Amino acid sequence: MNRLIISGSIIVLFFAGLALFAPLLAPYDPGMIDIDNILTSPSGEHLLGTDSLGRDLLSRMVYGTRISLLVGLIAVGISAFIGVILGSLAGYYGKWVDALIMRFVDVMLCFPTFFLILAVIALLEPGIVNIMIIIGVTSWMGVARLIRAEILSLKERDFIYAEKAIGASDFRIITRHLIPNAMGPVLVSVTLGVAAAILVESSLSFLGIGVQPPTPSWGNILSEGKSVMGAAWWMLFFPGLAIFITVLGYNLLGEGIRENLLKT
Amino acid sequence: MPREALTKPGKLITLSISIHRLKTVFFKAVFLFAAFMLLAFSRADYGDTIVVGSIGEPRTLVPILASDSSSGTICGMIFNGLLKYDKDLHLTGDLAESWSVSDDGLEIIFYLRKGVMWHDGEPFTAKDVKFTYERLIDSGIRTPYAGDFIMVKDFQVIDEHTVKVVYGEPFSPGLSSWTMNIMPEHLLKSEDLNNTSFSRMPVGTGPYIFKSWQTGEKIELVSNHDYFEGRPYIGRYIYRVIPDQATLFLELRAEGVDFSSLTPLQFKRQTQSKFFEKNFRKFHYPSFGYTYMGYNLKDPRFRDMRVRQAINYAVDKDEIVRGVLLELGRPATGPFIPESWAYNKDIKPARFDPDRAHQLLKEAGWSDKDGDGILEKDGGKFSFTVITNQGNEQRRMTAEIIQRRLKGVGIDMKIKIIEWSTFVSEFIDKRRFDAVLLGWGLSLDPDMYDIWHSSKTKEGEFNFVGYSNSEVDRLLLEGRRTFDRDERTRVYHRVHEILYEEQPYLFLYVPDSLPIAHRRFKGIEQGIGGIGYNFIKWHVPKDEQKYRR
Repeated sequence: MNRLIISGSIIVLFFAGLALFAPLLAPYDPGMIDIDNILTSPSGEHLLGTDSLGRDLLSRMVYGTRISLLVGLIAVGISAFIGVILGSLAGYYGKWVDALIMRFVDVMLCFPTFFLILAVIALLEPGIVNIMIIIGVTSWMGVARLIRAEILSLKERDFIYAEKAIGASDFRIITRHLIPNAMGPVLVSVTLGVAAAILVESSLSFLGIGVQPPTPSWGNILSEGKSVMGAAWWMLFFPGLAIFITVLGYNLLGEGIRENLLKT
Repeated sequence: MPREALTKPGKLITLSISIHRLKTVFFKAVFLFAAFMLLAFSRADYGDTIVVGSIGEPRTLVPILASDSSSGTICGMIFNGLLKYDKDLHLTGDLAESWSVSDDGLEIIFYLRKGVMWHDGEPFTAKDVKFTYERLIDSGIRTPYAGDFIMVKDFQVIDEHTVKVVYGEPFSPGLSSWTMNIMPEHLLKSEDLNNTSFSRMPVGTGPYIFKSWQTGEKIELVSNHDYFEGRPYIGRYIYRVIPDQATLFLELRAEGVDFSSLTPLQFKRQTQSKFFEKNFRKFHYPSFGYTYMGYNLKDPRFRDMRVRQAINYAVDKDEIVRGVLLELGRPATGPFIPESWAYNKDIKPARFDPDRAHQLLKEAGWSDKDGDGILEKDGGKFSFTVITNQGNEQRRMTAEIIQRRLKGVGIDMKIKIIEWSTFVSEFIDKRRFDAVLLGWGLSLDPDMYDIWHSSKTKEGEFNFVGYSNSEVDRLLLEGRRTFDRDERTRVYHRVHEILYEEQPYLFLYVPDSLPIAHRRFKGIEQGIGGIGYNFIKWHVPKDEQKYRR
């Protein structure tokens, strides 16, 4: 364990805790409109102030943690799933399978991901589920390449030949031996991917095409903050800070794992 | 606070600062006198550019098709009607120099101005008026304004500069309907107006000449030196499209935009700084319009009047006025603004009463059988989506408040925010919505045939909620058939009553207009109908001019 992993884990666990215990931690109902307390600055009553409909910012931030982490984890789950399957098929079977899959990866990488996401959203409806799926299916290419590279070297190793000699099926070889041994770099990539996905979700919500109101997410709180800029600094500062720290946390964790892997 | 405000001090401002230091009554008096003389003798200068910022982009510049406010604004700069409204909201001549109405009100003769030229140099004549009229009543053209003109029984061109309009029966909005912008016959006679390049390259008779349009960015107009009411002082008019109120505000703050509308929050909380006090002038007056949530009345859930009434009880309009408009506006009870004589003051807005809402929904057959907090009927949950346009924070906030209140009575309302032109062409025109949060800008005549008559439900027409009530249909016709103010008052009060009872819209609020203009523009006067009626008299003193071109 190194310092990066420890500090990253602390941040990640802190926000995971917030998300998990949101109903216990949030002092108010995040949807409770109180028009007599519009945009009040942080005070004892509302620790982080209130938004333009008088809703408690702290409560919305805490619930927003749920959205951000949920989107981050599920989107990355989807991308890891697709990436691992396609990457291992390409790496293990090689030849035309490899060529086909890798050219497809190249095609996908040609699109600037964010604009691809914008285009897909224009076709589908914005919403949490769609956002998770879209981020997932547009960000699996890195994982696929990593897995493929790992498997290319692993499949030449003796234990794989041994497995083949005793007549194990391809499926067994891939799922029991190749993928588990290739997981190290994937873990790093996935951890960093969570950070990226959180950023993408925030950006989309900031642009108004992500998570739809009234569901609070850091991105759409920030977006609202933009329209009250100059009148309510807390609406920009706190969601910005939360995004920053969370992304930092996942990056630290990812880097930490990478360093550990290199050492061993 | 940074002091970029001082980059361009006008003469008077510099003087007033130094005077402040002198602090003697005597000098103040002398100064005031001098300033007064200076003002009295300074003549307005030509030149400079006004940059107008707006979140909406015009959809078309064919005036008889223009139905959104951005299109209307630009068309108003480029075109003229036969008549227009003056400062006190009285009808006055525009392209018509004068007019006469026969005693029975059935005939109007317009005497057109002589010597008016289209921007391309062709003379304006009665033929253009006839052409515009013919296009307005052409059923192949998707104009929402036909309703006013099909009332004309006979249209005669008496000579080049005189036209006579004959109505088959009295038609009270007749005169005001001729504020409709007139289009050039010589350019459009063989064009299909629904699909013409003119819609992006208009030629009019108005104070400003169309120059260019960069889609999604800006429209540029230049002043018409030969304008019949005199050359406008401001040389260029740039309409910048900035589809987000916050960005628009930042542009205003950076003085990249000279004229715009503020949101209530910006008006009350974000423009109190010295910078804004010094560089901008804010205006505040009742607007001619209201915001509402319209239901798709073809939807079986909303066809039931009790459901619509229940929603009216469930939503607290005062809360919206206080929370969203910060009291810069008033709750609406119907399709008129409270200042109008057509507004029925006997209609008391329904009190916020969730229990009554519950009861009405129950009567309509909606109840929460599975205990999840959402009402059901015949196995379906009461869940619908309201759509509204992107960029308007007030509408988003209003939707969120309604959403919250409806949840309280067991209705699940989703909000979908859509970019403006898609919003209009794909959802409103094609009737693809459950409910819609929108606003109407109103004309001064209370006639609302185009919005509420059951025949106005075709694509592009204004009765997109599909409202149909035979009594309202009859009253709307009656209201147009008489000139008698008392009679019309009775009719519109009754229409107001029916609409409030039946709730085809959830009437929400009448917002105030909150325009803001850069201080270098002088000559802005506020009339009953607001500012803008004397735009061609706005001017910037030479030494304060910002854009020299």
